[in-house]
Amino acid sequence: MLRASIAYNGQEADLQGIADGAKAGDQGIVYGEKLTAFADAAVAGDPATLASARDALRDAAGSEALVDAAAVLGNFERMVRIADGTGIPLDEVVHTMSGDFREGLGIDSYRSRREVDAGPLARAFAPVLRRVASLGLGLAGRLTRRSD
Amino acid sequence: MAPFSFEASVDPIRPDLVEAYRRAWNHIAGPGTWLTGAERVAVADETRRARDCALCRERKEALSPFAVEGDHDHGGGLSEPLVDAVHRVTTDAARLSERWVRGLLEQGTTIERYVETLGVTVLVISIDRFCHAMGLPEEPLPQALSGTPTEEPAQDLVEGEAWVPMQSKERVARALGLPMGQAPYVVRALSLVPAEVEAWQSLSAAQYLSIERMRSFDSPRAIDRSQIELVAGRVSALNECFY
Repeated sequence: MLRASIAYNGQEADLQGIADGAKAGDQGIVYGEKLTAFADAAVAGDPATLASARDALRDAAGSEALVDAAAVLGNFERMVRIADGTGIPLDEVVHTMSGDFREGLGIDSYRSRREVDAGPLARAFAPVLRRVASLGLGLAGRLTRRSD
Repeated sequence: MAPFSFEASVDPIRPDLVEAYRRAWNHIAGPGTWLTGAERVAVADETRRARDCALCRERKEALSPFAVEGDHDHGGGLSEPLVDAVHRVTTDAARLSERWVRGLLEQGTTIERYVETLGVTVLVISIDRFCHAMGLPEEPLPQALSGTPTEEPAQDLVEGEAWVPMQSKERVARALGLPMGQAPYVVRALSLVPAEVEAWQSLSAAQYLSIERMRSFDSPRAIDRSQIELVAGRVSALNECFY
């Protein structure tokens, strides 16, 4: 969804921040570095680091953005445990569309990985599908922004 | 004072978040499908105890979390397998296994009670993590309400796709009004106990996005969709979530 939302904004996706955190910088996302620093600090739990990251995000992006980021953070602390606690596999379409970056970001080596295979046809056409989806999202984003 | 008043907050908290948290607290307090209100509040209490549990800390540091024996620091309100479920889901979810889930059932709980326990546990984690991230105190747990669980079994169950049975993707899609009759796995994951899917959806709509909004890349929030997904992706990566 991150890559799709960046494509929708008409930009090229650099997803390294997912693996590297704040040291990857903004990655073309407004306040990207401060958002990842806030997420890192909240998950790690050190109160002083978290307070500092919270203040930095609030100062840069405002209280509303801080609250929204904290809510998303809380939501995904839940989502990961639902997935890990029920042993659901990755949906085939997600597996197909994310195959090119999962290995590079180390996601395929996570201990929670559960084998999924979308089949030979999906594997063969995945690069084309990803490109078409990216172009389509970029076009949809441009059309939406033009109509606003 | 009503729960989740957030009077200590210097940042205004969105009213829809407050309402969602109050709904979740009411949902936890009442009798569920397979657990009583007292058991559900005990699950919530156990979720908070797990963070300071010595056994959980030892297991987290061990090469295999299943190699360390011992007793959890628990509150006494739940059976042993459910205590273990809450503590492991809270502190080391990435290393859970199907074999471990089967072990819980061999110890005498049911898969329905496990899924409901999971549903309550993750609600509490989600809300507590928001408070923690905002530097706010945790909300006191609700008082359990009396009453008996409905014990209403879920329909159209499919086995073998995950460690737990789930309702068919068509059934869940119909219930939630999803397009094309297809519900992704994460939406179906708790569907053995449909009331927990409803609670999941209610909280997600406020904390993240409603199902309708997920299909659009415009954001109703102060942060845009790519910012939302950056936080979501980073939190998932830090938790080593393959999904």
